Amino acid sequence: MSTVIEIDRLSKSYVVPVRGAGVRASIVSLVKRKTRTVEAVKEISLSVEAGEVVGFLGPNGAGKTTTLKMLSGLLHPTGGTASVLGFEPWKRNNDFLRQITLVMGQRNQLIWDIPVIDSFDRNRVIYRLTREEYRERLDELVELLELGELLSKPVRNLSLGERMKCEVAAALLHHPRILFLDEPTLGLDVSMQRRLRTFVEQYNKRTGATVLLTSHYMADVEALCPRVVVIHHGELLFDGKLADLVRKFSAQKTLVLELEESQEDLSRFGQVVSQEGSRATLRVPKQDTAEVTARILRELKVQDLNVADPPIDEIIDQVFSRGMA
Amino acid sequence: MNALRLLVVYFRIGLLGEAQYRVNFLFQLFETGLGMASVLAAIWVVFSQTDTLGGWKPAELTALIGIYFIVLGSINVMVAPSLQKFMEDIVTGNFDYTLTKPADAQVLVSLSEVRIWRLADVLLGAVALVVSIVRESMVVGWVEGGKFLLALLAGAVMVYSFWIVLATLAFWFIRVENILQIFWAMYTAGRWPVGIYPGWLKWTLTLVVPVAFAVTVPAEAVSGRASGTSLLGALGLACVLFAFSRWFWRVGIRKYAGASS
Repeated sequence: MSTVIEIDRLSKSYVVPVRGAGVRASIVSLVKRKTRTVEAVKEISLSVEAGEVVGFLGPNGAGKTTTLKMLSGLLHPTGGTASVLGFEPWKRNNDFLRQITLVMGQRNQLIWDIPVIDSFDRNRVIYRLTREEYRERLDELVELLELGELLSKPVRNLSLGERMKCEVAAALLHHPRILFLDEPTLGLDVSMQRRLRTFVEQYNKRTGATVLLTSHYMADVEALCPRVVVIHHGELLFDGKLADLVRKFSAQKTLVLELEESQEDLSRFGQVVSQEGSRATLRVPKQDTAEVTARILRELKVQDLNVADPPIDEIIDQVFSRGMA
Repeated sequence: MNALRLLVVYFRIGLLGEAQYRVNFLFQLFETGLGMASVLAAIWVVFSQTDTLGGWKPAELTALIGIYFIVLGSINVMVAPSLQKFMEDIVTGNFDYTLTKPADAQVLVSLSEVRIWRLADVLLGAVALVVSIVRESMVVGWVEGGKFLLALLAGAVMVYSFWIVLATLAFWFIRVENILQIFWAMYTAGRWPVGIYPGWLKWTLTLVVPVAFAVTVPAEAVSGRASGTSLLGALGLACVLFAFSRWFWRVGIRKYAGASS
């Protein structure tokens, strides 16, 4: 395996105008502009091997998108270095741009009023594909994404999900080696999210392309990304396997009990999350799990008992609300 | 020439997009025809009082009007809608996609939108030009014809460069549509030869907004009164403006990416 992305202490800070509320403040700011520096990304270092699928996690404004924008050449960093496929991204060398693609969930590159296929044709010319290459890749994508009858429809007549499938296809016609996907499933319904997810997985397996993905939906990251990078306030909090993230940050375990008869108060065993009839869910500190489980089995008539990690969403939420662990 | 292939593709897309609204072509023709009629009526009113206007004879002025519409149409077919779209893309963030493409961003931005039906302006403008030449049996030889085409080319380059400079301002001041309004107001003044305006306006129309070079100079060329030096000057200025707009655009892109250099 070879390293395709190498980032070293990459930073980006913006200078933004500061202005108080009200008319007076806005008039003052016309003359005397106060500014403040916002550090969107602070000295992030990581490297990505060819063929990896890496998920970027973080709340809004954490710096995920800024990082992707720097790696795809849209933004110039204020510090540090990055090398993507051996290129400095922000030089926007054409040979570099031909090998990457960027998909942004909330934006569109297809032309609104004309059939999808004509927007594809534009990309064929921009990426200088031969007719045969284009035909071949188009057929492949049409099959994988089930685009069939969508191609001849004007983009404005497509549903959000259909449009997103077409956006993704348009972004992949040139067979990029690196995919930057920024919230690709934003606003899609669950089944369409799953569809797109499966596609990215297939595409990665088939072509060996490297995928960097940001998403709000944990399900995306869980399903797709063996490796996750957690960014918070522009800093890298965690870089590793998803399972390790859970192990590292989850201080508690969840116990799901099925009892023979409905029980009185269970709070002596741990924090009761829910209790309905004979079924109860408890939360206990990780280090006490064995001891609490033993006690429950001893003191109660248990039909079934299940120990699990809390949902990843919750863990992530804890990580972010605590800042650093 | 990839730019040329892109041009072809975008024209095809523009044609496809607007072919659905064929009736728009008739409307456009009607609108342009009406606009031209009112301008020609103004000329007729003027020449019912006098024989020449600032040294221009009626037929020459009609030719000028023709050129005015040819240039107007050319701007409206591609330059104006494309750059207007570019400004919207800056606001919505869709411009990011343009920057990830392996092609010159300025070329992509300049071609992105085509309003095919505005060719009606070019068509009617050409008709007015030809009719005025034929009716007054103006002698347009190879020399005048060549001079005219050169002058028109120089004017087109200048107007394009001027638009690029205006559009580039969007990197700094998100909303520049108002500045475009100023261009249109100034361009309307180009329906008359700039020589008839008072000095300050004449200079503004020559050096600030290149209306003089886009309309008046080609009209002078076709009526055989453009000197070689003024033509050379126009070509030189076109090169300078184009180079400047290119440089300014690059500065704008660097600003957009947040590069400090």
